[in-house]
Amino acid sequence: MLNALSNARRHVMPTLLGAAILLGAVNAQASDVSVSNARLSLLPGNTPGAGYFDIENGSESAITLTGADSEAFEAIELHESMEHDGMAHMHGVESVEIGPGETFSFAPRGHHLMFMDRLAPLTEGDEVEVTLDIDGEPLPVTFDVVSPASL
Amino acid sequence: MMKRMLLPLLAAALLVGCADEEFRTTDIEEIMPSLEFALTDGDGEPARAEDYRGKTTLVYFGYTQCPDVCPLTLARFASIFNELSEAERDDVQMLLISVDPERDTPEVLKRYTGAFGPEFTGLTGDKEEIDALTNRYRIAYSFEEPNERGDYIVNHSSAVFAFNAEGQPRFLVRDPHSNQDVLADLRQVIAEG
Ligand SMILES: [Cu+2]
Repeated sequence: MLNALSNARRHVMPTLLGAAILLGAVNAQASDVSVSNARLSLLPGNTPGAGYFDIENGSESAITLTGADSEAFEAIELHESMEHDGMAHMHGVESVEIGPGETFSFAPRGHHLMFMDRLAPLTEGDEVEVTLDIDGEPLPVTFDVVSPASL
Repeated sequence: MMKRMLLPLLAAALLVGCADEEFRTTDIEEIMPSLEFALTDGDGEPARAEDYRGKTTLVYFGYTQCPDVCPLTLARFASIFNELSEAERDDVQMLLISVDPERDTPEVLKRYTGAFGPEFTGLTGDKEEIDALTNRYRIAYSFEEPNERGDYIVNHSSAVFAFNAEGQPRFLVRDPHSNQDVLADLRQVIAEG
């Protein structure tokens, strides 16, 4: 099904049919995207947390992660940590593209979700519902609250 | 004749073996000054380097609003400390010196470092006091523009400095150094007494 759509998309794109098929293709893809190993590293107090996970794009076209949302936090941003000449840098990232068949890891000292201003107390062992925004489609993911010592 | 030549050689070998065994991480004995500072501790009390003598001391410059690299670094050292014997553990401490004193009040720091274990202490100060220290160890830090919510990122050194119980510089740890190498060097400095 997905194969057929993707092929169609490639070949029929320039025609009027393209738009409708493209929409269908995006919807079909959401179910082919899976997230595993979702952990939210938190410390006591109101310091920001870091979210780590592996996202697998099992579809035949690239997908783009553009953001995340949770009722447990005021804001969530996509970030990347980097090291340059002995300096630890962190910066915001607009989006992350994951190619067809690829797995992308949000991992310690690299890409992470930055969870800011928790709205309810959370401790190790709790679960947090987070909605990832993938090409405008919501993808619900459950994050386990862990201590940074467990990473 | 033989005796006269052997003795100095033996003495030299012993000296090298004891005092100057090479570190597996980066040796800073000759290139960094001793540990000196005048800051504020987690209870808001003055904290001077002399107050922290007597234990092997690791120093890291970071800030509590950092969610990724800072807690990972402290957690890494907590797990290294776990490998030490109880006696060795009593002789080691790690200081997190804030490069974000605006947000890192003594209370915030105390709560943050407390999460990693009794070996961890957070110190803060005013900008001049912190700059005196970052200049002393030739490290940089910089602030990014705040976002619309007023949050801002601080870029900071990723190195961890190790000093012996007298505050003399010993070695420096960077991310790529393995935990095993850090542990070996740490034990060597603790054994200095
Ligand atoms: Cu971040």
